[in-house]
Amino acid sequence: MSTLSAASKAAASALAVERTRIEAAVSNLANAESTRSADGKPYRRRDVVLRAEPVESFQAALGRSTATGVKVAAVVEDQSEYRRRYEPSHPDADKDGFVSLPNVDAANEMVDMVGAARAYQANLAAIGIIRDMVAKALELGRG
Amino acid sequence: MNTIDDAALVEALRQQMTKSVARQVAASGNLANVDTPNYKAVEPTFADTLKGQLAMKATKPNHINPASPAPGTVREIPDAVARRDGNTVELDRELLTMQRASGDFAQAQTALAAKFKLVRYAISESK
Repeated sequence: MSTLSAASKAAASALAVERTRIEAAVSNLANAESTRSADGKPYRRRDVVLRAEPVESFQAALGRSTATGVKVAAVVEDQSEYRRRYEPSHPDADKDGFVSLPNVDAANEMVDMVGAARAYQANLAAIGIIRDMVAKALELGRG
Repeated sequence: MNTIDDAALVEALRQQMTKSVARQVAASGNLANVDTPNYKAVEPTFADTLKGQLAMKATKPNHINPASPAPGTVREIPDAVARRDGNTVELDRELLTMQRASGDFAQAQTALAAKFKLVRYAISESK
């Protein structure tokens, strides 16, 4: 049985996921120049991998349709090449005078962040619509 | 005299509300997965209900109403265009579906409330 609570759960799961995406984009931007991370190498940009998942796993196991929420499957490190900049005075410069910088592209992160913010907004609007429907249904019980 | 009996009317309105909820649930699931790669947008199917209604017809008032509530099945939206990541969710379509479902729900609720008001009136006035 699909219910409005399942619908709002799906929307709520999306809010959490979009927030994670914004967090990832923000930490990427913050570390755009970090040449030393925990493992001593320059920071690698993080990417959030999403996966669709039914919100009521019990109903789904019974083969009944339920709302499909979303979940963070993994946060992976982008393995693409580091940016390189000629800066011989930098303490982390190699013997040719080049510094390896994180593979973060500010424009990319900003676009990602705007996308996540818009999706957050859309899901918030969805929750508003669902709430109105529930309120409307409750009016039936009023004398 | 040709009248629609109260039970049939209430049942029809109830079905309208159930279907609105099913559409709402499917749309919110789609909206939640607006950025999930390879996610295919779904919509509830009411074809089985329609078929059931065509196959059986209540010809006497004491027949059981064949219009059973919509089964909880969904299908992928046909002819949906996938983006480069294989996702077929369209933000505006989903929000429109939700608004329309909400409108249908409110419509049925208003009619049902009016019906119940009449019933209440009949009960209280006959005291």
